[in-house]
Amino acid sequence: MPYNEILALACIGSFFVLLFVGVPVALTLAISGFVFGWLGFGTGLFNLLPARIYGVTANYTLIAIPLFVFMGVMLEKSRMADELMEVIGYLAGGLRGGMGLGIVLVGMLMGATTGIVGATIVTLGLLTLPTLLKRGYDTQLSCGAICASGTLGQLIPPSTILILLADIMGQSVGTLFAAAVFPGLLLTGILGAYILLVGVFKPAMVPPIPLAERQALPRRELWMKTLKVGLPPIALVLAVLGSIIGGVAAPTEAASMGAVGSILVAAVAGRLSMKTLVDVVNSTARITAMMFFILICSQVFALSFRGLGGERIVHDAFAMVPGGATGMLVFMLAIIFVLGFFIEWIEISYIVVPMFLPLMLADGVDVVWAASLIAVVLQTSFLTPPFGWALFYLRGVAPPEVSTLDIYKGVVPFIALQLVALLLVFCFPGIATWLPAAIGW
Amino acid sequence: MSDRLENWARGLDVIVELSGRIAAWTGLALVLVMAGNVIARYFLHIGSVATQELEWHLMAPLTLLCIAYTIKHDGHVRVDIFYSSLPEIARRVIDLFSALCALALAILIVKISMPYVLQSYRIGEGSPDPGGLPYRWIIKAMIPAGFALFGVQSLASVLRALKPFFGGSDGLKTASINAV
Amino acid sequence: QQTFSWKMTNAYGPGAPFYVTGPGSPTYFCELVKQMSGGRLTIQHFAAGELIPALEGFDACSAGTVEMNAANSYFWAGKVPAAQFFTTVPFGLNFQGHNAWIYHGGGLALWEELYKPFNLVPMPMGNTGVQMTGWFRKPIEKIEDFKGLKMRIPGLAGKVYAQLGVDVKLLPGGEIFPALERGVIDAAEFVGPYQDRRLGLQKAAKYYYTTGWHEPNNVTELTINQTAWDSLPDDLKAVVRTAAAACNTISHTWCEATNAEALDDLVKNQGVIAGPLPKDVVEGLRAATKKTLDGLAASDPKIKKVYDAFLAFKEKHDKWAGVSEAVFQEQIRTDGV
Ligand code: NA
Ligand code: NA
Repeated sequence: MPYNEILALACIGSFFVLLFVGVPVALTLAISGFVFGWLGFGTGLFNLLPARIYGVTANYTLIAIPLFVFMGVMLEKSRMADELMEVIGYLAGGLRGGMGLGIVLVGMLMGATTGIVGATIVTLGLLTLPTLLKRGYDTQLSCGAICASGTLGQLIPPSTILILLADIMGQSVGTLFAAAVFPGLLLTGILGAYILLVGVFKPAMVPPIPLAERQALPRRELWMKTLKVGLPPIALVLAVLGSIIGGVAAPTEAASMGAVGSILVAAVAGRLSMKTLVDVVNSTARITAMMFFILICSQVFALSFRGLGGERIVHDAFAMVPGGATGMLVFMLAIIFVLGFFIEWIEISYIVVPMFLPLMLADGVDVVWAASLIAVVLQTSFLTPPFGWALFYLRGVAPPEVSTLDIYKGVVPFIALQLVALLLVFCFPGIATWLPAAIGW
Repeated sequence: MSDRLENWARGLDVIVELSGRIAAWTGLALVLVMAGNVIARYFLHIGSVATQELEWHLMAPLTLLCIAYTIKHDGHVRVDIFYSSLPEIARRVIDLFSALCALALAILIVKISMPYVLQSYRIGEGSPDPGGLPYRWIIKAMIPAGFALFGVQSLASVLRALKPFFGGSDGLKTASINAV
Repeated sequence: QQTFSWKMTNAYGPGAPFYVTGPGSPTYFCELVKQMSGGRLTIQHFAAGELIPALEGFDACSAGTVEMNAANSYFWAGKVPAAQFFTTVPFGLNFQGHNAWIYHGGGLALWEELYKPFNLVPMPMGNTGVQMTGWFRKPIEKIEDFKGLKMRIPGLAGKVYAQLGVDVKLLPGGEIFPALERGVIDAAEFVGPYQDRRLGLQKAAKYYYTTGWHEPNNVTELTINQTAWDSLPDDLKAVVRTAAAACNTISHTWCEATNAEALDDLVKNQGVIAGPLPKDVVEGLRAATKKTLDGLAASDPKIKKVYDAFLAFKEKHDKWAGVSEAVFQEQIRTDGV
């Protein structure tokens, strides 16, 4: 193995070591990137770093991050939605796992408004995790459910994964958006069903609100509460979705409708004081900068990985591609899944997809179907530890009593569920290919 | 000695806190500008290239100038699986190591990004779109500015991480970190 | 013999036909150079995002961190305003005329002079030929129809449309389709039938106007870091020049072939209504373009120098085209019969 490829592997190795001894994630990425990049190619390529950092901070689609974070923080700080989970719990009555189901549904709705995972995770984490813990939900299950529900948005359109895949695979964005709708809903259903099953077999992990408390709350008061805490978030989600569907705003712009809507909703509810606004502004800046700092430092890592020819390791594996369309597809999805543990989805897409695309075309594989499969696997990369964006973002906003290990362990069953969804789409291609054909996209 | 370290660190804190709190308002500006663009286009059928560009221009100060401020408020995300069970001395060493690395990172990025900014300044780079915003170097200058602030914050962290080694009280933070 | 191992960045993303892959594309160029030089010059190609973001190649190549970059010169309008004329000029020249200007009418020398301060050597290495006006959700019948129209249209053409009352919207490639489909924008410009079909724009808007008044041709530029270029022996320089010129022809003819097939498919199978803009609309656009270009030339002596040189050449060439190509198109060519 050439010297540089060994360095590329060492770069990933040192990333893990530093990460696990507790060096902050962002620094871990920057340190291993700089050290091994410098050993491999000296200082030259690092001159490209400012261009990459600028590319992150001037990235149009990433504007959705501060906008959605603003919306979520406004809901939280103005205490408009802090009882949201409680009310869902009351409404679910004696149903075990009712609040967990609520998370999945909120995740799906938010996913339909944005293609950026971080924004959904942060909002869900802020609004739901404290209540779930207070109500005795299993910590690991709560974290896993939030991470999995938050990443639903990468499958449910609009989605940055689908936009990039459309670009690389030469498909129309519209076709891939349509193709991902049913896989997205399928996965939503699987997540929901899983949480209900946990309620059946491990009731202690997802307890309902105690009967006494439920009986103490008069029906009328519950409906009032439902209206009060349910209306604002639903109104905001509808504002975002409605402005996309109604042709008012393009997907990224639509996020601003939610953010500005949250100011209006808070003002109308009489919850908007100067202090609240200052709190929201500061908190939004901190969460946004936290996310971007990791993104920026990951540029050092990605640049080094590329500069060291890390993609050649994948190319070497490529030599083992089995014959036949099915074998080739399975092999590709497996590579993408494994890479998801170590590097982020954008790099994976750039490295793997162009390699396999000619093979897919030659073998007559339905590219739309293949893109949907790839999207499902790429989505799991947000969840697979140790390098999982969803995990880092939830870590950033989770209360201190939640440990990283809780998050890491919590996502494991949900990764398995995503593989179940993958298997279903693989065995029944119609789940992906039917809708685009039916609506002529 | 340990008191003196703390005093110096506090002086640096002021710079970071103040700049962060000011830059944070670009987030609200971003919300208003983008929503304003959508509303003006849909209802009034007017729009401008400049205000559309302003949307992502506001991202640079928000994301870069607030990094130091975020870190100051314990905004580092870290994996605490082993960290929290390590002996205190090991955690102190890791903290000092992290702080020194952060300082080195800040210096490195400032150094690498200056020529990038200066090139843009020298040629008077503006928007490629007619009617777009001029002075693109200002947006690019947020990179060294943000990392200079991050350097100031990292220096404060180094001073604080040194404290226990000079007999000061424990500067150790909780293992888990909450950015909010 | 000394061997060279270079890097080329590209302003377009992985997989983009013509801009990244396919006959005459930059990856084709890299392969061609490797073969022609017997492996003495190998160029590793990086699509946008792989090494640096799409529009950072100019600076990276100028600094010498990468040796080559593939792009369109009008991307650098914010850095070198006069550069945009080398990609195309609205109401300017088509493939034959524009290349005649660059290769034999003094265009290349002006281009080289313009890039010299940036330590860059430019040359053409591809051309889409004439592009399309764009996709419209409603038909354009008169110049007033542009008033209040929301259109995704970058660059100089955007400024021309803005004068006619168009509300210019900037959008990244991935958001064009959803925005056009939902009516956030009423119209969008992209490339030509083959590329546009790939984006699925025919499913969002039905009226497809021709021809690309704003881009009568479109040059893919190759920029080479001057220091790296100077280090090449003469025979390898000739290899690079020849490969670039070959790609210029191969890419253009490839577009001619694929666009013919794609437009036919769009019209016959996908319900697209393709046709020219009404004559007075074109005249309105011509007047607005002249105003825009004159204003641009007055703003900067470097632009004026290039613009004047271009106009002088165009005048001569138009005369020849008038008695050769125009007559061919009117009298000799049969209309798909
Ligand atoms: Na989504
Ligand atoms: Na992962």
